[in-house]
Amino acid sequence: MTPAEIAVVLLVAAGTFFAVVAAVGVIRLPDLYTRTHAASKSDTLGAVLTLGAVAITFGGEITAVKTVFLLLFMFVTNPTAAHAIARAAYDQGIEPWTADDSGGEPE
Amino acid sequence: MSAPSPLVSGVLLGAASAFAALAVVVLYRVLRGPTMQDRVIAVNVIGSNTVVILALVAAALGEPMYLDVALVYALLNFLMSIAISKFTVERGGVI
Amino acid sequence: MAAEDHTRILVPVGESTTLRNTVAYAVRVAQDDATERGVSATVHFVYPAVWRSVEPTRAEKFERAGDLLERVEVWAREDVEPDEADVAVETAIVGAEEYLFSPSDFARVLFDYAREHGLDRVVVDPEYQPGGNAPMLRPLEFELSQTGLDVEEAPVERPARRAALVGRESLSQYLVVFGASYLFYLVLGGFSVDAFELFTGAVSAGIVTVVLAKISLKGPPDLGRLPGQAARMALYVPYLLWEIAKANVAIAYVVLHPRLPIDPSLERFEAAVWGDMPATTLANSITLTPGTLTVDVSEREFYIHALTRSSREDLFDGALERAVRFVFYGRRAARIPSPEERLASRERGEQ
Repeated sequence: MTPAEIAVVLLVAAGTFFAVVAAVGVIRLPDLYTRTHAASKSDTLGAVLTLGAVAITFGGEITAVKTVFLLLFMFVTNPTAAHAIARAAYDQGIEPWTADDSGGEPE
Repeated sequence: MSAPSPLVSGVLLGAASAFAALAVVVLYRVLRGPTMQDRVIAVNVIGSNTVVILALVAAALGEPMYLDVALVYALLNFLMSIAISKFTVERGGVI
Repeated sequence: MAAEDHTRILVPVGESTTLRNTVAYAVRVAQDDATERGVSATVHFVYPAVWRSVEPTRAEKFERAGDLLERVEVWAREDVEPDEADVAVETAIVGAEEYLFSPSDFARVLFDYAREHGLDRVVVDPEYQPGGNAPMLRPLEFELSQTGLDVEEAPVERPARRAALVGRESLSQYLVVFGASYLFYLVLGGFSVDAFELFTGAVSAGIVTVVLAKISLKGPPDLGRLPGQAARMALYVPYLLWEIAKANVAIAYVVLHPRLPIDPSLERFEAAVWGDMPATTLANSITLTPGTLTVDVSEREFYIHALTRSSREDLFDGALERAVRFVFYGRRAARIPSPEERLASRERGEQ
């Protein structure tokens, strides 16, 4: 295995791990805002790491530049989208869940 | 460009199927809700996963064309979240 | 003095394409009214400050505001008809000590000025929209009429949409947007130099520029500051990446922990950053880093949802905020106290 291949495998593994964290978080966390944390952070990192692996696979070609563009785009838009959704929810008066309501409806 | 070594393309395709499986798992949140924003968040996650799957398949098969599809999909995914949020905040006035 | 024996008009002014006509209209209204009632008139041209008292470029902006007011005064004197009622012209800059953000902030300082000087009529320039014309906020005119003042929009022609295309100061704005979109197109096309790619790229970039230049950049870009900002941004990115890595390990731990040890809360904090780009950068950085998510940025307050207690403490430490200030304003601006210290000093001040 060449060093580039090792890097690809490691990045893909890390990316997939964080994507799993994002999916588990979105399913498991108690309310919209906490789920947004999982969706914005873990999912972005998972996607960015995996796209990094893709860029390395493509090597020094222009396609790799394109992949980096895609990566940067995800990096900027994912938090922005999460912010927009959270703001819309806040605007509608959806109250955040707190540790005190744990008896309530963590679903 | 040509396809990468069988090992690497195997890893990439494996990761792509993992991402696809995760997208199916996240579908639970889309169906369950309970609020509309929960569904949007979940759909957004599925969209990001789709973009990553497209990129992974592009790399595994050595087909740079798929990357353009991924790029456009990422754009649409972002616009979807923004448009829906704006739609709810402004009660219908999107533009 | 009561308003009956003197005509007093307040005109909020700022950079706008219809400023000249608004000045002429306000002077004519004042003079007509004064002549009719046989009294004299005063027109107050007031420039609400759009900078913040700690902002490094404020001296420059202050000077520019002064120049604008001087110009307005000259125009107004030109417009006064010599054989009718006397019209005095006064100019002022208000709100320099605070940070005006939304139209309601602007309306508030204008109202204060009006009350202080016994003004009850306001003429607004339809093209002047301080605090941005963000679709979520109500425009200045509405906010002003809520205060009980008599507000009137100057009935000026609004050629801005067409005239802006040839405006000289917006040229660099168009060039920057055009260049960026052309470059992006060429990169996506793989830098091929055949005529077809170059032509379609130019056409697409042209369309994007015409439609979106005014939206993409609020004003002409400050090219002098750009290299420094880019260099500092290059320093900021690794720092941010490290913070993001930490954030994700923390989130992964919390999410995968069997008992889900979270303590979420919604926090409000006043950020000492100003302007669209820095605020956006900070908001997105906050969203990406340890357990914090920007829910809303209204006025100058950030509403942050924090997932765990330690993430809350990190936020109020202000390291990120300082880093963003460093990127956009250099090392000097980084030394403003942290949100925690600001809060503490304000509480001391109020006691």
